[in-house]
Amino acid sequence: MTMDMISDDDLILYHYRDGLDAKRIVEIDRALKESTELRTRYAAIEHALARADAMPTPEPDADFNARLWRQLEPRLGTRTPPTRESWRDRLRAWSASMTAPRLALAGACALALAVGIGFYAGRTSAPPTLAESQPDAAAARVLDAYVAAHLRATEGVLMTASNSNSDALADSNRELAASLVQANRLYALAAARAGNTRLADFLRQLEPVLIALANPSPSSSVQPAQGLRDYLDSTDLMFQVRATEARLDRSGTHGT
Amino acid sequence: MDMANDEARWVARASAGDAAAFRSLVEAHSSALFRVCARITGDKALAEDAVQEAFFNAYRHLREFDGRSAFSTWLHRIGVNAALEQMRKRQRVESALPEDEDAREALAGALDAPPGPERHAASGEIRRDIERELARMSAIERAAFVLRHHEGQSLEEISATLSLSISASKQAIFRAVRKLRATLETVE
Repeated sequence: MTMDMISDDDLILYHYRDGLDAKRIVEIDRALKESTELRTRYAAIEHALARADAMPTPEPDADFNARLWRQLEPRLGTRTPPTRESWRDRLRAWSASMTAPRLALAGACALALAVGIGFYAGRTSAPPTLAESQPDAAAARVLDAYVAAHLRATEGVLMTASNSNSDALADSNRELAASLVQANRLYALAAARAGNTRLADFLRQLEPVLIALANPSPSSSVQPAQGLRDYLDSTDLMFQVRATEARLDRSGTHGT
Repeated sequence: MDMANDEARWVARASAGDAAAFRSLVEAHSSALFRVCARITGDKALAEDAVQEAFFNAYRHLREFDGRSAFSTWLHRIGVNAALEQMRKRQRVESALPEDEDAREALAGALDAPPGPERHAASGEIRRDIERELARMSAIERAAFVLRHHEGQSLEEISATLSLSISASKQAIFRAVRKLRATLETVE
């Protein structure tokens, strides 16, 4: 082996003692002792890397943790102190915990059935009086709370699919997306039956995206993530998901 | 030892929906996560967004954390990818800004200017040039370099974090070092 065969790239790996086998490290050790020119090249690399070390370490400001938690907590869908909860809190907590695919689908089925029965009962009985319309309002709030939880899960799937190139996360994300397709369809049906065409239309728009996430291209895991990122950037889908979720959350909280 | 036990308890409780336990995890890891995200993005505001997204994603996937690696390793990986995502978003926003050649010309012009008092503040000048060069690296080059050089990760760990082959991770680091050296050769 001659010194010429040792590239700058080899010297970078040598500096980090990574990516080279032991034999190659010994060869470079020996060549560095023998060659002034190689030592000069290596010194230039070490100098550049030392300059990078001179860069100041970025530190968060004093309020960082408090600010981070203030922004994070509302997105988690949890309550910090385990105080007495209203039925809405319990419903939301239960809905938010429905990340397991089968539970998500079961919830959607139950809700679709409940709304369907309510709708059928409404269609086959006399027009409701004011008192009779109260259960309808409650059913609408229940639907809102369920769909808000569904949209939180959908948002999580979109974020994971577009942010992560990890195979481990991608597999579970695909499974969750597949379960959300079916749940999404049932929620769209329930919303349409409840007369909420705006919500039903929005959920129908989500379906092809969820189908694509549930059935990604088998080739690379990176390209679909990039494709999704481009898609999300070129549309305002993520914003719509968040906005609808926030609107439904408000409706579930303030509706009476 | 105690910290590890505390962390395992926090993870278990946070997985069950305990926000206070998750907050303990956030407070234990936010600064380290911020540092790596800030090094990758080169921007504290972007780093803060990345940290928030990383914790949000971690919370949503906490039940998938199997404990085979340290929680910090698992979280770190999510954080690096969140930082890359923030950079991708910024790059798209800044696509209307001058291309590399223009920026290089501007830099060369500044260096050709008559030396004033500021020019003599050599270390500050070089630091800014390095920051500028790091900012011009691709997101992957920068992340691979930060993980190898500042975080001390092995090529194997880097390739797992960035979902790259080991060869691609090496090439990203090589390109980053070449760019860094080119800048130093220009300004020193």
